[in-house]
Amino acid sequence: MNLDFTAEDEAFRAEARAWLNDNVPRGPRPTEGQAMRAFDLAWQRAQYDGGWAGVSWPTEYGGRGLELTQQLIWYEEYARSGAPEAALLFVGMNHAAPTIMARGNEAQKAFHLPKILKGEVAWSQGFSEPNNGSDLAGLTTKAVIDGDHLVVNGSKIWTSNAHLSDWQELLVRTDPAAPKHKGISWAICDMTLPGIELRPIMIMTAPGHHHFNQVFYTDVRIPLANVVGEINDGWSVAMSTLGFERGTASMSEQIRYGVVLEKLVDMARERLGEAALKYDEIGQRLAQLRAEHAAVRAMTYMIVSRSAGGGAMGSEASLMRAFFSQLQQRTRRIALDIIGSDSLELPDVDPWIRPYLRSFSTTIAAGTSEIQRNIIGERVLGLPR
Amino acid sequence: MNLLPNPEQVQILDAARSFLSAEAPVERLRPQHGQIGNHDARLWPELAELGFLGLGLAEAHGGVGLGLPEEILLYRELGRQLISPAILGLTLAALLAARSDDPALLNAIVSGEARIGLATPRGAVTLGPVSSGAFHLIEAREAAWAVAWTDDGAALFRTEDFGAAEDILCMDSHLTLERGRLEACEPAIWISAADGDLPRRAQVLIAAYATGLAEAARDMAADYAKIRQQFGKPIGSFQAVKHRCADMAILAEVAWCQTVFAAVMVQNGGPKATYHAGAAKLLATDAALKNAAQNIQVHGAFGFTADSDAHLYLKRAHVMDFLGGDLRSQKAALIGLAAAL
Repeated sequence: MNLDFTAEDEAFRAEARAWLNDNVPRGPRPTEGQAMRAFDLAWQRAQYDGGWAGVSWPTEYGGRGLELTQQLIWYEEYARSGAPEAALLFVGMNHAAPTIMARGNEAQKAFHLPKILKGEVAWSQGFSEPNNGSDLAGLTTKAVIDGDHLVVNGSKIWTSNAHLSDWQELLVRTDPAAPKHKGISWAICDMTLPGIELRPIMIMTAPGHHHFNQVFYTDVRIPLANVVGEINDGWSVAMSTLGFERGTASMSEQIRYGVVLEKLVDMARERLGEAALKYDEIGQRLAQLRAEHAAVRAMTYMIVSRSAGGGAMGSEASLMRAFFSQLQQRTRRIALDIIGSDSLELPDVDPWIRPYLRSFSTTIAAGTSEIQRNIIGERVLGLPR
Repeated sequence: MNLLPNPEQVQILDAARSFLSAEAPVERLRPQHGQIGNHDARLWPELAELGFLGLGLAEAHGGVGLGLPEEILLYRELGRQLISPAILGLTLAALLAARSDDPALLNAIVSGEARIGLATPRGAVTLGPVSSGAFHLIEAREAAWAVAWTDDGAALFRTEDFGAAEDILCMDSHLTLERGRLEACEPAIWISAADGDLPRRAQVLIAAYATGLAEAARDMAADYAKIRQQFGKPIGSFQAVKHRCADMAILAEVAWCQTVFAAVMVQNGGPKATYHAGAAKLLATDAALKNAAQNIQVHGAFGFTADSDAHLYLKRAHVMDFLGGDLRSQKAALIGLAAAL
């Protein structure tokens, strides 16, 4: 057990800090629409040009080929610098790319990975359906093989930023007769193909906030060359990176939240006074949150340690995910108690109220808290299904 | 950076686990439900022989020359087996004796002969070169010495310093509890927090012990949920029970990760150690209290009986909460510190 970083690590940290200091975009990040897309792609491109876009990506795909420890250092410095999260690119960077790296063929890797890393494209995730959310494996969007194409018919829903994405990772049913986990394929879908229609779905944060979509597929012809892994093996392709999503993909967010909390502590000190804070209910809750965010960092370090030791990023990552998703909500909630009745106001520049409302998604997206607890109960504790 | 135990640390962990599960199974506390006092003191000479009583002491002081990372591995196992918290008196008194150069006392501790209790403040006290105030003495009835500490520092007293101590039945009834009082008393040894990091070390050791409690309660609940059947199925297949157990697993993981982080920070020294030690104590006692309560609920009416071990974890968790300052005072301290990002 040690927290010693090597001289190379420290040099890397200094280099990252210096670059971020000079290159982090100033001014607020647009939170929706084409303005957000342009902002996120440009910031990703700047990171790529600076050599920071894929710290732990293999060099053959344009990354630096460094260890998870360096990735962690980069995220720590990124959080400290106050750099904005290029959230639109999350699916591409943290889901599609690792999946293609793990299970894609050479042509798929060569075509897609550089585009994702350079900030040329945005991806969305076509997983959930109107009748299949937590029971994802029961999905019914149908794909039939016709020559060298899949012909897709059906619908996906709650698709974040489908209207801003160029590509989509799409789960389709290719064998309706097989057991539900055995008849699914994982395909790369070009969002400009004929037969794709979008219905915007507004989210609860503020009037007219277009984030979700329902996506309809009518005889959409996707080349078979775009299937990742084997036909009907798509469930295992999707699962191959789920542990990644639940473990390290949120590392940057986990570290960033410690900074968010300290802004709240400062705000509370200013409004309530240092002395009053200690035994005040808000001060007591903030102290609990401080301890919990310290633990998030310790858990992140533990995940990196296990990963470096060759341990699988498996069901134990669900412990982190389940904890962190609820912690985000508790952290966002306390902002309103500190601000008081002015929290009824929704200002244009809004560091607290929209993010609070937005935090209701954290216990739903990427597996609800209930599903996470099933996984922990069954795979960590060995309880019966 | 690596938070996993190295091979030497794994050996220590395995040795502690196999010794304690063989020599101190939790069942030892079951038949004589009542105030049995410091029964575990019989283990001290054997623990001494295995090197566990001097784990964090320098070799020059008769110790093993390791530190807090190794000690937390031991303390987690001590918590799992509900070993008398008097062990903490031994660990802290050894550090005090080492720093004040008292070889006779050191030798008595490291050999397992000495009995040392704990003295915890009842309300506000003055702890320093001249100490006063009301205390609870835990596991001190047969001890010659008692250790007390606050954020200001740590002190070793003779148990007779506390006057005619009054026996009280302890809520955790396997432990002896007395009320005592210091009147302008000079401790045998006093080390201020500025000269040493004893209070911080105590926080982290308690955190490790409390994590052990939280883990043992989690395991007991999960094991029971696998075998207890209702409505024709194991109760662990119902989400209401399964999710309760999952929450226990989350709290235990949170507590352990922060405890490891804090142990390394305190061992390395530096300005953020107090912050992380406080966070570890807070999270681990919180996990121990919550998991112990949930474990009783998972066991149903049986969990409410003295025949079940479930109540033992709850009561010990409350003892650990009050040692070194309860959750409320931990939180007040933590919010008063500078950020440790």
